[in-house]
Amino acid sequence: MSQMSPEPHMQQVDLTTLTMPQLTQLKQQLDQELALFQESLHSLKVAQGKFQNSGECLEKVTPAAEGKSILVPLTGSMYVPGRLANTKNVLIDIGTGYYAEQDIESARDYFKRKIAFVTEQMEKIQIIGLEKSKVRDTVAEVMELKMQPQSAHS
Amino acid sequence: MEDAQKKLENELSSFKNTQKEFQKAVATRQQLDAQLNENQIVKEELDRLPADRKVYKAIGPALIKTEIVEAKQNVTKRIDYINNEIKRSDDLIVSLEKKQDSHREALQRLQQQYQQAKMKAAMKA
Repeated sequence: MSQMSPEPHMQQVDLTTLTMPQLTQLKQQLDQELALFQESLHSLKVAQGKFQNSGECLEKVTPAAEGKSILVPLTGSMYVPGRLANTKNVLIDIGTGYYAEQDIESARDYFKRKIAFVTEQMEKIQIIGLEKSKVRDTVAEVMELKMQPQSAHS
Repeated sequence: MEDAQKKLENELSSFKNTQKEFQKAVATRQQLDAQLNENQIVKEELDRLPADRKVYKAIGPALIKTEIVEAKQNVTKRIDYINNEIKRSDDLIVSLEKKQDSHREALQRLQQQYQQAKMKAAMKA
């Protein structure tokens, strides 16, 4: 979902040479990035849950279920009775308003792939997030160090 | 001293405006990124499908049948468009970043001036 563009500002800078406003700005930036990671992680988790759910639903659509009666939700709170007419194919939302007809086997494969993809993204974000929070902690430390001589003077 | 304060306030408000613009530009950029990603995933998915598969496009609440070829063309076109938009928004972000930096510098200078004026006023009193 969120592709990481390579950081253009990533170069070695000795944190102790930065001024206080610069450090504050840097810390703010890092805080924002960390918040964004948390958010992305959360939405990825939601997406993962949805894919898992759909995959599980697929298990119920077997040839044996053909002709069985079901309740079709028209709205969130209104249902009409129906009969399962086609258990060979399902329609899958592949994004941006496109739906593709898939047989059960490829649908199962689709969800498996999606779950793997989302999990992979989550792992990536977790790693980057960990690194960022380390940098943030270092910045906070340097800020504290800089504060000390200032307060000693006054 | 009042003069310095006024200048400082003016500069501060225009700095804040630029900051807001910058944040908006970054948000747009992130949205575009998300859209690009989604479209790319759709394209990958369409590429995997056998040519005889039925594909539908949601138009409002209705699903309309489309040819895979047409769907692919549409998605590719959209990806191109989004890429162009991303370029445009990147340029905007760079220019706003510069503007922000120059505002920040001016702000610092004015702050110093203001402090000096304040000191002078305090000396006189």
